[in-house]
Amino acid sequence: MRINISFMLNGSEVVVEVEGHHRLIDVLRDQLGLTGTKEGCGKGECGACSVLVDGRAVNACLYPALEAEGRSVTTIEGLRGPNNELSTVQQAFVDQGAIQCGFCTPGMIMSAKALLDSNPDPTEEEIRSALLGNLCRCTGYVQIVEAVRQAAVQLRDKP
Amino acid sequence: MGRYNYYKPLSLDDALALHDKIPGALFIAGGTDVMVKIVNGDIEPSALISLRSIPELSGIKENGSTRIGSMTTISELIEHPKLHKRYPVLIEAARRHSGPQIRNVATIGGNLCNCSPCADTATPLLVLDAKVRLRSIEGSREIPIEEFFKGPGETCLSSSEILTDILLDPPQREARAVFMKKGRVHMDLATASVAVLLEMEKNTCRRARLAAGSVAPVPLRLSQVEELLEGNIISSELLDRAREISSETVSPITDIRATEEYRRRIVGIYVRRGIERLLKK
Ligand SMILES: Cc1cc2nc3c(=O)[nH]c(=O)nc-3n(C[C@H](O)[C@H](O)[C@H](O)COP(=O)(O)OP(=O)(O)OC[C@H]3O[C@@H](n4cnc5c(N)ncnc54)[C@H](O)[C@@H]3O)c2cc1C
Ligand code: FES
Ligand code: FES
Repeated sequence: MRINISFMLNGSEVVVEVEGHHRLIDVLRDQLGLTGTKEGCGKGECGACSVLVDGRAVNACLYPALEAEGRSVTTIEGLRGPNNELSTVQQAFVDQGAIQCGFCTPGMIMSAKALLDSNPDPTEEEIRSALLGNLCRCTGYVQIVEAVRQAAVQLRDKP
Repeated sequence: MGRYNYYKPLSLDDALALHDKIPGALFIAGGTDVMVKIVNGDIEPSALISLRSIPELSGIKENGSTRIGSMTTISELIEHPKLHKRYPVLIEAARRHSGPQIRNVATIGGNLCNCSPCADTATPLLVLDAKVRLRSIEGSREIPIEEFFKGPGETCLSSSEILTDILLDPPQREARAVFMKKGRVHMDLATASVAVLLEMEKNTCRRARLAAGSVAPVPLRLSQVEELLEGNIISSELLDRAREISSETVSPITDIRATEEYRRRIVGIYVRRGIERLLKK
């Protein structure tokens, strides 16, 4: 069963032909070539596959592709600026040394973005809660929390 | 991974008719259990019938009593402006359910229909005496949630029924309740969990409701403890007895997350601690 679906991806409409058993991550990586979204566990545990659907963080590895129809999907590729410059949250991860191997980073950043979009001034506890569904096997999380804090301050100061 | 068709019916009637027509079809809500079971090879449905596009199943309605649509996500429960005041114990449990990405798609209906003994929303709904409404091609029926859970991986829901609503009576003014969950880290499925609801009149317990998760094949009402407490002044001896009975009456298993003995101990301790906490409130 092949079905055409259309959805907003990083601000532009896309139309793709998908099958019933495809997951959103299959469509993003294999069909649309957006390999920024990573697949770690494939079972909802690690958060490497986190993307935003209608502004909320979800695991693309558990999200049936057909449910994206008519929705708005944001991936890590959607965060960069018009001249390929990094977004505030991305730059904060670089500045704070919050990236080692980098495999968890796109997912971490999407969860951080979902948090900061809804809560511009989070406490450390709120930052840690927002990142509960994202595992990092390298950094020990301290720099990641610092990066989110830096991004929060910079985004609030932005005119 | 298997291949399957995916249907998005727009009404309950269409969903039930599709299910009737396609052998091996399975309903899917948020998919956080279904998709994992498919990846693990535990199930091989011929088709998934999504409940996401059915308007009748979403939303929370209040007029005295409360009706929670089965497709309400765990995040929607937490963010609802009134539920946390009216049924704090349910929202405490929702806050302990998984992490943000899962909570944004996982539904309360899926949590119950998955029939896992560790479903976090089950024990609060048990102590709140919730009812569930089920719908099949033949019609709909309403049952107390206690009757809903039958055995491991088994509910009284037949595979061709849809859970449509969770119904809650208006909160009792004097009732206080707590939810406690033991997990290794915050996101874990519960090693054991306990919900306690007490209605006190001065020092005497007028009504008690207790339920425990992950310590029996189903989320379990601890009726012997309820009987012990009701009509009595809750003394320190009674608390000890409540702890003992709780540990004895549950039937936990040993698995990768904990041993049987540990689960028995935790349940006893949480029952005692839960009651103590409520008495202090
Ligand atoms: C990483 C991770 C962490 C988790 N942590 C927790 C946790 O802390 N606490 C917890 O309780 N659970 C947890 N879970 C389990 C799961 O997220 C929950 O049980 C969730 O609430 C299931 O809801 P769903 O909508 O995703 O169900 P689905 O996966 O869509 O469905 C589950 C089952 O119920 C059936 N079903 C769903 N809705 C209906 C309906 N309305 N009528 C009839 N049948 C229906 C489906 O056919 C399926 O058999 C976790 C899962 C993952 C992957
Ligand atoms: S790949 Fe999706 S949560 Fe791990
Ligand atoms: S930087 Fe390696 S997993 Fe996080």
